[in-house]
Amino acid sequence: MMSKRFALTSLSVVLALGLTACGSNAESNSAGSGNSKEGEKTKISYWTGDRHDAEFVKEKVAAFNETNTDGIEVELVVKGDDFDTALDLSFQTADSPDVIRVKENTIGTFYKKEYLAPIDEFLTDPLKDKFPAMDDLNTFDGKRYSLPNYGTTMRLIYNKDLFAKAGIENPPATLPELVDTAKKLTEAGKADGAYGFAQNFKNPPSALGRSSRVIAELSGFGGFGYDFKTARFDFSGFKPIIETFKQIKDDGSMLPGVESLDIDPLRAQFAEGKIGMYLSFSSEPGVYSTQFPAKIDWAAAPAPTIDGNVNGASGFLGGQWLALSSKSKHKEAAWKFMEYMYSDAILTDYQEKGFGISMVPSISAAAKTPDVKGIEGFLPNAHDGVWPVYPTVAPEGMKSDDAFFKYMLNGGDLDAVITDLNKRYNAALDDAIANDGLKAEPDPSFDPAALGGKFAK
Amino acid sequence: MNKTKNAVFSYSFLFPSAILTLVLGIYPIAWAFRYMFYNYKGYGEARFTGLDNFSRVLHDSQFWDSVVNTFVYAGGKLLLSIPLSLLLAAILNRGLRGRHLLRAVFFMPTVISTAVMAVVFFTIFNSYNGILNQFLIKFNLTSSGIDWLGPKHAMLTVILVAVWGAVGNYMLLFLAGLQNIPEDVYESSALDGANKVQQFRYITLPMLGPVMQMVIMLAIITALKGYESIMVMTEGGPAGKTEVMFLYLYKLFFPVGGNGASAQVQEFGYGSAVAFVSALIVGIISLVYFYASKRMNRTD
Repeated sequence: MMSKRFALTSLSVVLALGLTACGSNAESNSAGSGNSKEGEKTKISYWTGDRHDAEFVKEKVAAFNETNTDGIEVELVVKGDDFDTALDLSFQTADSPDVIRVKENTIGTFYKKEYLAPIDEFLTDPLKDKFPAMDDLNTFDGKRYSLPNYGTTMRLIYNKDLFAKAGIENPPATLPELVDTAKKLTEAGKADGAYGFAQNFKNPPSALGRSSRVIAELSGFGGFGYDFKTARFDFSGFKPIIETFKQIKDDGSMLPGVESLDIDPLRAQFAEGKIGMYLSFSSEPGVYSTQFPAKIDWAAAPAPTIDGNVNGASGFLGGQWLALSSKSKHKEAAWKFMEYMYSDAILTDYQEKGFGISMVPSISAAAKTPDVKGIEGFLPNAHDGVWPVYPTVAPEGMKSDDAFFKYMLNGGDLDAVITDLNKRYNAALDDAIANDGLKAEPDPSFDPAALGGKFAK
Repeated sequence: MNKTKNAVFSYSFLFPSAILTLVLGIYPIAWAFRYMFYNYKGYGEARFTGLDNFSRVLHDSQFWDSVVNTFVYAGGKLLLSIPLSLLLAAILNRGLRGRHLLRAVFFMPTVISTAVMAVVFFTIFNSYNGILNQFLIKFNLTSSGIDWLGPKHAMLTVILVAVWGAVGNYMLLFLAGLQNIPEDVYESSALDGANKVQQFRYITLPMLGPVMQMVIMLAIITALKGYESIMVMTEGGPAGKTEVMFLYLYKLFFPVGGNGASAQVQEFGYGSAVAFVSALIVGIISLVYFYASKRMNRTD
């Protein structure tokens, strides 16, 4: 009896120790200890949420692992839409990555959460000259946290075959033309299951962040409803845009089922020729050359404006790419990997293969036009420009994208929706200014049209 | 001495699970209890705001819409899954050929990952190239397909998927209950002239009372807390039509963003208050059910 008890007690102790061992094991993996069996390798991890360039980055990481003489081994982790959540969780544990892909809409938050380490100590003067510092996009409080690689332009992507079938020569330049074109394309394509227009409304922030945003910005309104002149939120510029989208849906010119459509299934449908037009980023040519090879002839054109007048600039998004984790225990090794990824050869290759359009002046001056179908429509033009960073606020109640999509589905009083959004977003803005140290100063001289023309004439 | 040894022995067994409960159960709850009185976005200083978060919950129409959606979802799931699982259990409790295989088949959804299951159902139900619509169109049952995940049918679709996932589990519990009913009760009732329907009504159902009470209790709690398959299939859309309580809560902690979208703000403080109110709602409903169903626990 005693021996049985002893055995059981021992077993529970072993299990408890086993649990402890699991914990410490995870820690040492994350630390990338050089004492692992594989010898002297310093293991670091790079996390990205990008899928359009995943194969390219995978190749480059493999080449780095084979060729670097510092004994560094990089583990590439490609996350899906849960990238931000996974990163949050990783920083609560010992499994956070060493190098993080940051974007214009995440770097500010990651900086505030103290996920990022400044890279100034690693930056030589030539590097500082080569990569432009951009406030709130890669530089915070005078310290640099990332460097630019490529910028993303936003365009109207259209199915040339369906346009030809419908007898339409030019892509729409105004919102009324967008409605009309979508209708004609649907008439021409419906028998084959093709519709004029689509948006990925399974995720309204993503759908409107790539469509209403660019139309608003090009028409002279802040893409997220923020007016830099007054330093207040004013969503009234979105009224004609949202009414247009609703009209297209009510006309039956929108692909059925857009309510449950994510961006990748949308792209898959476009590649099959089932969609006439949609609005998205310059990552699309890469997508249609590797992820979903397009069976149709397609091209990209500038997004339409509200009335045909360009009073602003189409957002050229970027200014950051890779960042160093504040928790990395191998910052020097991580920086060596970053330095490799930011080498001229890789940045040039990145542009020439069509994964993005370089924002690094020395690269854009020397690199060839990307060798990928459809990219020509995405190259920066006189109306592309970098907007200042929009303030991040947490309004009570429904977010603007959800409220607009709800109006598109259910109808109602759009003026009342906009008044309510203005009230709630400005209350949240005031709260953030008063309590979170957010800076939002009016700039009466702010001219959105002057933002364009800095990357191309 | 012997008593002390016994105590040490018992505590050594309790220790690992106590630690796990403390770290994975008690600590997060304590954390949420603290932060529901704060404005905290996951970075910077947490600001004490007293009862502001609760006042916001009371006026948050999005939250109360999600509560209504939760009741519709849970009600629909229960109304379909409980009778269906009981029926299946009753059928598979007979000496049917192949019943063991059928039990395994019906139970299978329980062991499949909810996310995987939801992805599969998404490919079946989605409106633009879903298998179901292709089937319906091919056999001329509809001309243009049905928008299964659209505003009109999305709730029904997510309920059907939830029922599919739950029926096998409840069926198994009912089956265990049915097998505990002594055969001689049926035999004597048959001698008294009772037919199968009467046996089911007057013997099976009353004697299944305690199991039924437990199954319904489990089903209520699971349905009120369920959100995973909805998140995969509709993300709560379209326009909040399938946004249930715990999905709304999840999005406060992990907001949905994406390329080109504005930067998202996590609301840990407000999310904690919503979590508390949601737990309260689930708790109250469970308690009300528990007391209301006490009669079911009597087998006499």
